[in-house]
Amino acid sequence: MRRFYLPALLLLLLGLAQGQTGTTYITPELQRLIQAGGQNYASVLLRQDPAQALCSTHRNRLPAEVLGPFIEEQRKNIKYPADGKLMGDWKQGEAIFNTLARGNCFSCHVGSPLNIGGNVGPSLEKYGQRGTSEAVQRYTYEVIYNTWAYFPCTVMYRFGVGGLLKPEEIAHVVAYLLDPNSDFNTKPALKR
Amino acid sequence: MGRFWRLAGVILLALVGLLALAQEEVDPFEEAQKQKQQLLELSGGILPTDLIAAQGEELFKAKRGPKNASLEACDFGRGPGRLEGVVGRLPRYFFDTRKVEDLDSRIRSCMINLQGLRPDQIRRNEVVAIAFYIASLSNGQPMTVRPLMPQEKRLYELGEKLFYLRAGPRDMGCASCHVTYVGRRAGVLPYSDILGDKRVASHWPAFRYSNDQAWTMADRIRACYSNLSMPAPDFYSEPIIALTLFMNAKAYGGKMDLPGFIR
Ligand code: HEC
Repeated sequence: MRRFYLPALLLLLLGLAQGQTGTTYITPELQRLIQAGGQNYASVLLRQDPAQALCSTHRNRLPAEVLGPFIEEQRKNIKYPADGKLMGDWKQGEAIFNTLARGNCFSCHVGSPLNIGGNVGPSLEKYGQRGTSEAVQRYTYEVIYNTWAYFPCTVMYRFGVGGLLKPEEIAHVVAYLLDPNSDFNTKPALKR
Repeated sequence: MGRFWRLAGVILLALVGLLALAQEEVDPFEEAQKQKQQLLELSGGILPTDLIAAQGEELFKAKRGPKNASLEACDFGRGPGRLEGVVGRLPRYFFDTRKVEDLDSRIRSCMINLQGLRPDQIRRNEVVAIAFYIASLSNGQPMTVRPLMPQEKRLYELGEKLFYLRAGPRDMGCASCHVTYVGRRAGVLPYSDILGDKRVASHWPAFRYSNDQAWTMADRIRACYSNLSMPAPDFYSEPIIALTLFMNAKAYGGKMDLPGFIR
């Protein structure tokens, strides 16, 4: 008999925790609809995180009173490489930037000498001209790790938060963008 | 059947020629129109969509399944057997199945209920061909989807919520591309303006000439999810119907261009 209490209690606590943050978007009705789409579909959609819920609720435009705490929360979940180096190996970064199933950066950004870039995001052509100061490295790393810490609810994926790239891999991409010897900065960008 | 394959051959050749001629840029609607025109000239007046619709017509009229019945008695919303203009009226609520159904799921329901087929016997390519046939009879008609029944209103609202929902490792959501970044490109095609341009929802089902695919709206929605490495909702499932209802209602008053012919 007692065995049943624990899961029930956990569920209750989970419900309370969600109620507290007030950031659920998925109502019971919407949940049933999503479940009708099949197990695989539901397993991903129903695992919506609170930040995704906020962006959904406000249709990607956060009101002023939500914006501050949102950015603060997003900043908090940025993690850095164990060795503290924000610039890794540009060659490895090149592969990530130019591969659809990994960074897919070229699909949205102009700048790569290997792929014609898209224009969903701003052009990153000759991004290395910004220099390699600690501030530039940190900004670049953090934008890639958690884009929403700088551009709340934007379309670019939060590569670190979503588990798409490990901190070391993000550092490789940072090097690809910033290293003066990187092909990204020495060769002309492909454009349509 | 011999005639069919000869035509298919002609069209295939024309398509190959077409791709060689294909150019970059310009408005995607204009570009598709131009390609369609060229293809018509090269093939002597036959489009791939005509062949698919012809196949669909054959399937629609053939007596099949355990009940040895055709689909001619299927009611798509204007009464049994009345097919003209029905695509612009779907999805809608049906009293016999007690469900809101879109074109695909309505075809499937009739295959189950009229022909006695089991769900696992229903082949996707047959449903698509039948959808193309029915679509060919709705060309030029207006989009008149308007959620009025409580079941339709409910599903419309859920479809709208789903359209704005973001989830998954890539924070995917329909609106983040098709509202915020309309016209921008991540790849060859610009993101279409689903909520602002009535032509977008009004050309499904459609033939995609760049990769020789016949798609209904369900295929389009599923590919949008897959492109962002999300699992797609099952065919004929409610999330697909809800999204389609939402998008079609937004295109109210649009003129159906069917079957669509797109890149
Ligand atoms: C789905 C499209 C998309 C993808 C994929 C994408 N980005 Fe972005 N990126 C954007 C958008 C849009 C912005 C601008 C954010 C805004 O204004 O809302 C941006 C902003 C940036 C910025 C800040 C630009 C500046 O001038 O300060 C950097 C740096 C960046 N992206 C790098 C990357 C890298 C590296 C990758 C791959 C690992 C990547 N992006 C993948 C869309 C994308």
